[in-house]
Amino acid sequence: MTDIHVETERVQGHHLLEVKDLFVEFHTRDGVARVINGVSYHLDPGETLAVLGESGSGKSVTAQAIMGILDMPPAKIPKGQILYNGEDLLKMPEDKRRDIRGQQISMIFQDALSALNPVFSVGWQISETLRTRMGMSKADAMKRAVELMDQVKIPAAKARLKDYPHQFSGGMRQRVMIAMSLAMDPKVLIADEPTTALDVTVQAQIMDLLADLRRDLNMGMILITHDLGVVADVADRIAVMYAGRIIEHADVRALYKQPAHPYTKGLLESIPRLDDKGTVLKTIKGLPPNLMRLPTGCKYHPRCPYTQPICVSDEPRSLNLGNGRTSACHFAKEMLSGELG
Amino acid sequence: MFRYLVRRFLQMILVFVATTFIVFALMYATGGDPIQALAGERPVSEQQRAQLTKLYGLDQPFLVRYWNYLTGLLRLDFGKALNGRDVSEIIASALPVTAKLALIAIITTIVVGVVAGIIAGVRRGSIFDNSTLVLTLIVIGIPIVTLAPLAQYIFGIKLGWFPATAAGREDDIYALLLPGIILGALSVATAMRLTRASFNENLRSDYVRTARSKGLPGRRVIGVHVLRNSLIPIITFLGIELGALMAGAIVTESVFNVNGIGFNLARALRTEDAPLVVGLVSVLVIIFLVANLIVDLLYAVLDPRIRYE
Ligand SMILES: Nc1ncnc2c1ncn2[C@@H]1O[C@H](COP(=O)(O)OP(=O)(O)OP(=O)(O)O)[C@@H](O)[C@H]1O
Ligand SMILES: [Mg+2]
Repeated sequence: MTDIHVETERVQGHHLLEVKDLFVEFHTRDGVARVINGVSYHLDPGETLAVLGESGSGKSVTAQAIMGILDMPPAKIPKGQILYNGEDLLKMPEDKRRDIRGQQISMIFQDALSALNPVFSVGWQISETLRTRMGMSKADAMKRAVELMDQVKIPAAKARLKDYPHQFSGGMRQRVMIAMSLAMDPKVLIADEPTTALDVTVQAQIMDLLADLRRDLNMGMILITHDLGVVADVADRIAVMYAGRIIEHADVRALYKQPAHPYTKGLLESIPRLDDKGTVLKTIKGLPPNLMRLPTGCKYHPRCPYTQPICVSDEPRSLNLGNGRTSACHFAKEMLSGELG
Repeated sequence: MFRYLVRRFLQMILVFVATTFIVFALMYATGGDPIQALAGERPVSEQQRAQLTKLYGLDQPFLVRYWNYLTGLLRLDFGKALNGRDVSEIIASALPVTAKLALIAIITTIVVGVVAGIIAGVRRGSIFDNSTLVLTLIVIGIPIVTLAPLAQYIFGIKLGWFPATAAGREDDIYALLLPGIILGALSVATAMRLTRASFNENLRSDYVRTARSKGLPGRRVIGVHVLRNSLIPIITFLGIELGALMAGAIVTESVFNVNGIGFNLARALRTEDAPLVVGLVSVLVIIFLVANLIVDLLYAVLDPRIRYE
């Protein structure tokens, strides 16, 4: 019944998930931090959207707003929509919203050691929602937990059911976290820097696992990262965030080929490459902006190598460059044609 | 685990021997004349003195007497009080009373302190939080020597809600209620603040965010995930607080005439009844050591990250 409903809605042009012109601010003792300033992105089933940006650009806060786990106060959402199958989550009563949380949209976090509860066994934690929300018996829920652990390739899953998070290695712990997030067959998986806390080799394994799961389960996946290198193989599209805005959005290949925003270009140039070992890595100069006192005009202008007077005075609007590609730069076209940079 | 238990047991024996030795030494080296203390105002003849000295073993060297005492304990023989009764008999009748009192006190601490602490911790900054904070500041400032007689006067004598004294009614829980609650009131403020801080800290942890993102209802997030973690320091506190409770029992039991360990200890000190003092203190030390051991073992049960080797 619901599936038919969902289908018809998608025919009518709904994305699986769509964030529309979202604003989030934090009201703190020191003032108001405007952390998200008009973010829009969307996600369809079976695709991966990478959300990229420096620390503090608002990637996690956007994700937490989607999940509905921001503490309000201090957070406030003065404007915006978060549409799931065309329905605005922000207008839903809390109990209806809670049904979506974990069941339709679920999330995994950066540091699985602190994100898992230290005093409960992993089997208990994976099966918790099955027992308490899906009404499964304890035995059935545990059986399902073993299946989930098998699915994320935890060796000897059954034997490790009663183990505690601290008894697992970092990579295995993140797999536990992933198994837990899959328990209720979500349609959207938000992965907030799932590999940042791990060794490089383990990072690649976890990314492969996520890519496989996304394909096998036909989920939409939002992959948050500040590492452009990670996303090339996994993501379909990339949204680049800066100071709480999406400053560029493009297909992965198109973006790698020719960035349409100086910030993206800076990010690309700061990835170490295997093929040119000799060259010195470029880094983006300066610091991310103070969210309590944002600069005028383009928020990136104090750090941009191409700054013109118009960048200081006018805030650039998100420019549609065709094929779903957008860039919030006054000189997006010039960037794209290679006239700049 | 086994090795840990063995080591702990040896440690406990060491502590027990050391503390009882100190008390033993203090009681028999204060310079008082135990035989005169026994006789009270009456004169003691030389013959009686010699006889009593022999009976209580006062003619033997100190270390020998201490050794005899220790080996006696193994047979549950605590010696004889100066009034002729077996110390073990006095302990057997006083211990259950104090245990009941301590139980009432602990329940008071949990019901009032821990519950209020949870509410204050969850609703941080609320009127409830702020008013209980002020209240605990005041309560922490009142010593039990003031609190116990004050409560006895107000609730026992003026209002008549409770019996003002429990003398001879030690089997009646109702008579023990007021002294028990007063004894527990000592720890309520600390328990509340500790619970509040522990909840506060755990509420901010990452695993709470995870639990919420699983779509669990708020009461499950707090009542299961946060509570289970916050309990660890609270249980530790309650176990250690048992020691403070025993000290408080000396005052409370004396004020309310409850015939427990504390009451008897106060009286034994007053009458300089050395064998009784040593016996009662030995019991208190054992209670304290066992409580600490239980807390440590519980700790490992509550926190799987702790392993005793
Ligand atoms: N509870 C809060 N109160 C005040 N400010 C907050 C709060 N949570 C987040 N912020 C601010 O919001 C901004 C964006 O934070 P966010 O966590 O979304 O960054 P991010 O892009 O995920 O960075 P990172 O790569 O470090 O995870 C930061 O400047 C942060 O200080
Ligand atoms: Mg983040």
